[in-house]
Amino acid sequence: MINGRKRAGRGAAVAGGKAYAFRLFVAGNESNSTQARGNLAQLCEEYLKGRYQIDIVDVWKDPAIALKHSVLLTPMLIMLKPRFGVSVLGNLSDTKKVLATLRLIGDER
Amino acid sequence: MATSIRRAKHKDPAGQQERRKAIQKVPTGIVGLDEVLRGGLPAGRMTLFSGGPGSGKSLMGLQSLLHSAGAGEPGILVLFEERAAAVRQNARSLGWDLATLERKNLLFLMDARVNPELVVSGDFSVKGLLAILDHQTKAMGARRIVFDAVDTLLHLYDSPSRERHELYALHEWLLNRVLTAIMTVKTVQKEESPSRYAFLDFMADCVIHVDQRVTGQITTRRLRVVKYRGSGYGRNEYPFIIGENGINVIPITSNVLQHRSPGPQVSSGQAQLDGVLGGGYKRGTSILLAGSPGAGKTTLACVFARAACLRGERVLYLNFEESPESMVSNMLSPGIVLAPMIKTGRLVVQSYLPEAMGAEEHLFHALNALDELHPQHVIVDAISACNRMGSEQAAFEYLMRVLNACKERGITCFYLNQALGPDVIAEISGIGISSIIDTVVVLCQLSIGGSMKRQLIVMKSRGSKHSDRFHEYRITDRGVDLVKA
Repeated sequence: MINGRKRAGRGAAVAGGKAYAFRLFVAGNESNSTQARGNLAQLCEEYLKGRYQIDIVDVWKDPAIALKHSVLLTPMLIMLKPRFGVSVLGNLSDTKKVLATLRLIGDER
Repeated sequence: MATSIRRAKHKDPAGQQERRKAIQKVPTGIVGLDEVLRGGLPAGRMTLFSGGPGSGKSLMGLQSLLHSAGAGEPGILVLFEERAAAVRQNARSLGWDLATLERKNLLFLMDARVNPELVVSGDFSVKGLLAILDHQTKAMGARRIVFDAVDTLLHLYDSPSRERHELYALHEWLLNRVLTAIMTVKTVQKEESPSRYAFLDFMADCVIHVDQRVTGQITTRRLRVVKYRGSGYGRNEYPFIIGENGINVIPITSNVLQHRSPGPQVSSGQAQLDGVLGGGYKRGTSILLAGSPGAGKTTLACVFARAACLRGERVLYLNFEESPESMVSNMLSPGIVLAPMIKTGRLVVQSYLPEAMGAEEHLFHALNALDELHPQHVIVDAISACNRMGSEQAAFEYLMRVLNACKERGITCFYLNQALGPDVIAEISGIGISSIIDTVVVLCQLSIGGSMKRQLIVMKSRGSKHSDRFHEYRITDRGVDLVKA
């Protein structure tokens, strides 16, 4: 937690002020999905405060959209902006991995 | 408690009948497989097809789906490995038009491939898949579903217990929606050793192992029903082929020998030989013509074939020694003209190299020919060549099944055997067949005083008063001649 806050300070300077948009596919209130929601929200607050947007799609309510995007496993995070297509499968509990995939850390170098 | 149950059974025979109702089955439409399954797959339940790569399990799933679609029952094919476009294209090579069925909403191909490079962070589940399937099933009114290459999906999970958990969820979903489902799984190990997916075997109501193996340099395909809850099933390994129109399984159609009784006598095509045989060959029986090379087996068989065709009958000649052209040409020297018979279609010659394919493909062609041509007589020239079909056992099975098929249909069956000595006259591949053969004619050649002397003897002929002497014969340019003693 402390480490997280330290990184948050550096995180604000990361990715030079670009706007981020995510689509998170969830399956109702299933535990992995709720975890993903929570983890994503926390992550965005720490690193992308004020410049992120999360679109939640519930596959039970909108299965046609899930089919269109070929999302079969949930929860699934798809980044829309700035780079479309990067995706992460899972409840996003491995924060480091998520950040690395979304290129939110490691940009300092 | 126990006594009350006993009393109930005793008093309520009708109720007992009710309890014994057979489970509902869904036919696969795969020739031969429905017989092995005694009707088809268990309705509303899950069947597992497992086997190595290229064994044919995905094709079986697709073929059964198409059969149901053809009967107006929509189905979904969930593809975890192959691309939908590739499946459509491969289907076209078998003459199946998937696109039309898709347009009519009788078939839905779902591309469920998961990008192998997908980053995983934390746990996930197949709920998304279930939601989509729910939507799709309701939209189409689907009754059937095939999950192709489920192992690809399961590999995403790190732990076997997670895999199991997800599959149970999937299975529960299937049972709740009362869908008849098929799952295909790739297995790499031999079926005997415990597989990673042993729990799938336990979960499924019906399990079929599909196998592709090489015996004596020839590839053969087999399938075996390992389990079928609530139903009897054929318990052996059954050979099958992937033919032009799909999969064909070749089961033994009956457990009981249902041979027709022999018919009246029919001429051998040679009047004197008829006398020796006690009237002729009996229709629907099996005749073994054995002898060393050059003794005249093919000549004698062709004499019969020509006479039969002239009578208006049809003859199927399975030739493992030479091509139809070569045979017709060679038979001209003993004065047997076969070309007109072939032209009118009364005589059909099918030539194959024994090693060209496995025994079950040979069997498939033979049985197909029987069903298409409905011949009165079949000639196999020569059974000794069948050894080259891959293994002696394979050859024996082929010959036994052809013989069986002929006897069930009342077709006269001639087996020509190249025997190099008196001991092996009534043997195929070292396995004695004399007990199932009705008539044995042996052609012997001896060199006496600088010339070849040929004699034939009818060793046995069930139901006929045949001569028990040697009869000298000659092969002239007008056929076979028996020399008067």
